Amino acid sequence: MDLIWDGVKEAVRLIVTGNGYVYGVLFTSLYVSGVATLIALFVGFGIAAILAFRAPPGRVIVVGAFNAGMALPPVAVGLLVAILLWRSGPLGQLHLLYTPTAIIIAQAVIATPVITALSVAALQSINPRLRLQIAALGASRLQAAVLLFREARFSLLAAVMAGFGAAVSEVGATIMVGGNIKGETRTLTSATVLEVQKGNFETGIAFSIILLTVIFAVVMGVTYVQQRRPPA
Amino acid sequence: LRARLRTSAADWLWSGLIFTPFRATIAILISISLAILSISCGGGGQELLLGATTSIDDSGLLDELVEAFEDGSGYHVKPIVQGSGQILELARNGELDVTMTHSPSDEEALVDDSYGAERTPFMQNYFELVGPEDDPVGVGNAASIADALRAIAESGSLFVSRGDQSGTHKRERAYWAEAGIEPGGNAWYSESATGQGQTLSLASDRSAYTLVDSSTFATMQDRLNLSLLLRDEQKPNVYSVVRLNSARLTHVNDEAAHAWIEFITGDRAQQIIAQFGVEEYGEALFKALLLN
Repeated sequence: MDLIWDGVKEAVRLIVTGNGYVYGVLFTSLYVSGVATLIALFVGFGIAAILAFRAPPGRVIVVGAFNAGMALPPVAVGLLVAILLWRSGPLGQLHLLYTPTAIIIAQAVIATPVITALSVAALQSINPRLRLQIAALGASRLQAAVLLFREARFSLLAAVMAGFGAAVSEVGATIMVGGNIKGETRTLTSATVLEVQKGNFETGIAFSIILLTVIFAVVMGVTYVQQRRPPA
Repeated sequence: LRARLRTSAADWLWSGLIFTPFRATIAILISISLAILSISCGGGGQELLLGATTSIDDSGLLDELVEAFEDGSGYHVKPIVQGSGQILELARNGELDVTMTHSPSDEEALVDDSYGAERTPFMQNYFELVGPEDDPVGVGNAASIADALRAIAESGSLFVSRGDQSGTHKRERAYWAEAGIEPGGNAWYSESATGQGQTLSLASDRSAYTLVDSSTFATMQDRLNLSLLLRDEQKPNVYSVVRLNSARLTHVNDEAAHAWIEFITGDRAQQIIAQFGVEEYGEALFKALLLN
């Protein structure tokens, strides 16, 4: 227990003293996970819209695949992305391995099934008659989609939060494709792993606490948007 | 109505994409990705991928060396820090330019198989058997580490192994072989399969014995209930730099790799190594091998 208390004190000390290393790591985490979540959001909402509204053939299989994808082992994703990005790999020419972009790719792959699967469920839980009514009132496809997404916004924002949570808390793939390079690809999670490996448990706990604080702040922001009364 | 609903998939995808609150972010997102892509594509030629084993990094030495090298050369170093086993495997796949590890037989095999172009030992420290302060087995009086391990096995005292194919793990296996004992499968023998720091913490927690390199132990000793019991002065722990063979591994940045070899075997780096830790621990953590 002493260790946890020491970790809390260390976390406060690191944040208050404006430790440049810690703020750099914090920024990297927010940046890569933020962009990864945005990518996953666009892809996920797009696929979810097709699956929920268009009912393409084989929908059950595709939705099932995305549901299973929520349990995609991040380390497996990391290994796959790393091998693709290797200098000798098919995408080696891009020189992306060991860059923040590589982490964004891996985290987007991890977050996309989460957002897609939860969004499909959200859109499908809308009363189907609403769709018919919106169409009957003469809404364009675009207007109809906007209305339907708005109708499901509570569940969709929950999906986005789940996706961000999956991305920002991920560590196995992040280390594998990012290389955990100080000042470049070190995130709050990979920094925690490093400190624990070195046996610096209180610093590890401090990083975990900072990570939890960040997640809490971001999710609170989204929750505020979610819970606020819609404009009349 | 049917016709209305039966619109093209592309249309739905698009309407999903421009879900109102996020419309503005599309442009931002695309421009950010493009910016990153152009930055990361730019500096390929000046980049050095350096694979280093954990004990060089944990002590803080790697940071000092990389800083000194970047300072003078204009190269940008990307240090990939893992156990020697993983580093040498990445090297075989051509994913590194140079490696700094402490697993001599594996490094020699790398060169023999023509993946490595040259191997140069550049610094060393020692392997140490550490354990509970009261040393119940009395390994402190043993003539060699192999003898000490035999005594540990006979008494059934707890021993924690790295178990991760690292250089330290390889050496530990060699000591067991020398002692003529196969420790695997015994209840008193556990494999942590983690880094050196975590292995030491585990051993400290369980009052167990373990093998460690002298530099890591010196930097972590304060936080552990473990004492140095026996040091192998006969067979030091040698760290070697291997330049990878650009003739065999086409992606290796030959120029950068040569620059690193020149640096690490040169006076400046050797001085850094010889001085490292003197201030904080009273003695150098590593012995520079190429100091003039």
